[in-house]
Amino acid sequence: MSVGPDQVERDALDTRIIAARRLAARADARLSGMIADFFLDDTARLDERTRVTLGRVLAAVVQGIESEIRRHAARVLTGRGMDAQAEQLLRGHEDIVRRLSRAGLLRDRSLMDELLAQVRCDLIASALPAVAAGPEQTSLLVRLAEVGDGVVAAAARALLSAEAQRRSAMEQGGVVANILPAERHHQLVWWVAAAIREATTTDSAVDQAIVEAAQRSLAAHDEGQRPEAIAMRLAAAIEARPDELGELLIDALGDRRLLLFVAVLARAVGIDFASARTIMLEPEGDRLWLALRAADLDRPTIARIALSLADADPRRDIEAFADDLDAVAAVPLESARNALAPMTLHPDLRLAIDALARGTA
Amino acid sequence: MMKPDIIPDLAVSHAKLDADGRLLAADRALLTLNDQAGGALGAALAVPQLATVARLARRLGILVSRAVTVADQDNDLDLWVRVQPEGDGLRMAVSGWRELRARAIPPRPAPTVIEEGALAWETDASVRLTFVSIDAARRLGVDALSLLGQPLTALFALDASGNGGMPIIEAVARRQPFDDQPARLRGGDVRLLLTASVKLDADGAFAGLSGVARVEETAAAPDTPAISSGFTDGLDRALRAPLARIIAHADTIHAEAEGPVAPDYVDYASDIANAGRHLLALVDDLVDLQAVEAEDLALLTEPVDLADVARRAAGLLSVRAANAGVAIARPLPELHVAASGDFRRALQIMVNLIGNAVRYSPEGGVVSVTVSMRGDMAEAIVADQGKGIAPADQARIFEKFERVDPTEPGGNGLGLYIARRLARAMGGDLTVDSVPGDGARFTLTLPV
Repeated sequence: MSVGPDQVERDALDTRIIAARRLAARADARLSGMIADFFLDDTARLDERTRVTLGRVLAAVVQGIESEIRRHAARVLTGRGMDAQAEQLLRGHEDIVRRLSRAGLLRDRSLMDELLAQVRCDLIASALPAVAAGPEQTSLLVRLAEVGDGVVAAAARALLSAEAQRRSAMEQGGVVANILPAERHHQLVWWVAAAIREATTTDSAVDQAIVEAAQRSLAAHDEGQRPEAIAMRLAAAIEARPDELGELLIDALGDRRLLLFVAVLARAVGIDFASARTIMLEPEGDRLWLALRAADLDRPTIARIALSLADADPRRDIEAFADDLDAVAAVPLESARNALAPMTLHPDLRLAIDALARGTA
Repeated sequence: MMKPDIIPDLAVSHAKLDADGRLLAADRALLTLNDQAGGALGAALAVPQLATVARLARRLGILVSRAVTVADQDNDLDLWVRVQPEGDGLRMAVSGWRELRARAIPPRPAPTVIEEGALAWETDASVRLTFVSIDAARRLGVDALSLLGQPLTALFALDASGNGGMPIIEAVARRQPFDDQPARLRGGDVRLLLTASVKLDADGAFAGLSGVARVEETAAAPDTPAISSGFTDGLDRALRAPLARIIAHADTIHAEAEGPVAPDYVDYASDIANAGRHLLALVDDLVDLQAVEAEDLALLTEPVDLADVARRAAGLLSVRAANAGVAIARPLPELHVAASGDFRRALQIMVNLIGNAVRYSPEGGVVSVTVSMRGDMAEAIVADQGKGIAPADQARIFEKFERVDPTEPGGNGLGLYIARRLARAMGGDLTVDSVPGDGARFTLTLPV
């Protein structure tokens, strides 16, 4: 049997048909996306600034891990005399971010929740109105870094540094390495490793080098160095008395240290940082007012916190809050604490409860 | 041009309100503003922006401060309002009647405009460093992290500027940005120039500095006139085309010519287009400024008909006048007044004068343009029915970059300066007489 012109034509035809089918599938996916976009509730829609910043942070985190793995794996390979493979790894230019999002991996709820919360916190913190504690008065964090109590001073100094590092990196268009909690970082490192491996010729030595590089990246990750963790350490070191709490929270906002605000609040009502941050970010604020009541804060303090946050976050409605303020201030301490009780459960259990609820909804 | 002389020039104006937001007592400036809005003592505050702040402060039971923009006849006033609950009522303090408004949140130098190598820094109210950009500091051989919490002077040794002053100290005292504080890096010889904006908190109190340090260019400033012709030519070429493109695109967005756009962005686009037009006018004026400041300013001397010039100028501004609800009474077509000068420059002066008159006329007002011979000079008079110019300001408005009311929108303070220089270069003059409250009369004279 000879392979004549007929066969060639048929092959070309097949290719066209396959391509057409692929296009149809793509058009279908596009339509799904557009329908989802159109019916998206306005309150669930990201504003442009948040969307763009989130995109940058996500890309920077992935690319940060990617270049770490590529560089170290190439170093390992060079050490074994495999220069060609090392070169190939270094020069790899596949778009890892796109590959991972196409695979749907970056849609991971916990990962996006964490990054989105960080981005929102940064944007709100940068828009918070600064408040001078008094004429020529030193700002809160600088003051804390100089107190006699060495534990507080060290934590305050660490927070000053960590926040400066994150802001420097943001202004240079990058991201500092340690921004994810350990589990999220762990997961992402292996995803990135898999995507790099996929685009490289299969070779067990290369695989081995990528694994070594990934493990090195995991070992180097210290989630305790994240500003969020440091803020928690500082809040624990301060251990604000109930009568100091309101002033500390207001001073933290006035110093535009939103992470410290969240940490102090979390500490005061006995919930973890991420939960406190979640309720702080909710534009309706209902759970935040409950938390502030659970911390036994009075009406003027709650009002001042609400006003600062509303000034910094356009999603908030201060007039609606003013309508509710009397009711909020009247919530008894016990009821507020009871209402927050589910948030004091183990975070993993809460995740599971939420997942169950989504499943039945 | 005319300063809002109905409203007295006070730094802060106070008022007292009762628990229901009714005005009990107020200083004159606030009272005047409230009266203009149709309010009165004993009634609810009539200026909606102020009433909103007062209502919020009353409902929250805490101090509320807000920047508001209030229309005062043809001016917009940027005011800073503080309302503090006191006893059963409220105490209101409003500042910013003349000066630019105090901003609670200064625009931080956006990351994208801090160029590579520039060092961003920020301090608190005690001028201690709360932020230093780490990479930039490292390139200059400085460990930024160890400096956090230290005084600004631990990072920079501040030097006096050319005139012996310290721009940073003046800036902090006057709460204005500065861009020329010479400094050296501590422990090094690197010369830097510091630029910063002042952070003010909600009470208008100094809350710190937010700035950038740039390595100073070592080249000494060349000993050339303030504005060289090469500079303005370059400026003209470099700016005109991009500005025109910015304005055109912004107008397209504003008109939603290429499809619907979210309402906020429509407004932003209009702001962008207006700012672009302002800049374009400034470029024109700077090019003119260079021309009129040249030692050898010589203008064509040709026979011109000043009445014709005045009619043309009025015609050019008729659309703007109609938009503002102002009528222009122009010389009759049969009137001819011979003069000598440069036609284009004479037209430019008349457009400037009539344009100003339209801008400062109340709605329904009339700008009258008359041309006649007086002795051996031809004269054109542009009279408006605006608020007039105080005698003390009548000389000042012809100075370079001077404006009677710096808060008033539009204009860059060059128009009248250029117009008078041009008039004098043609052997004529440009003068003003005005009685406050009774309009202003600008007189252009040209030789016959």
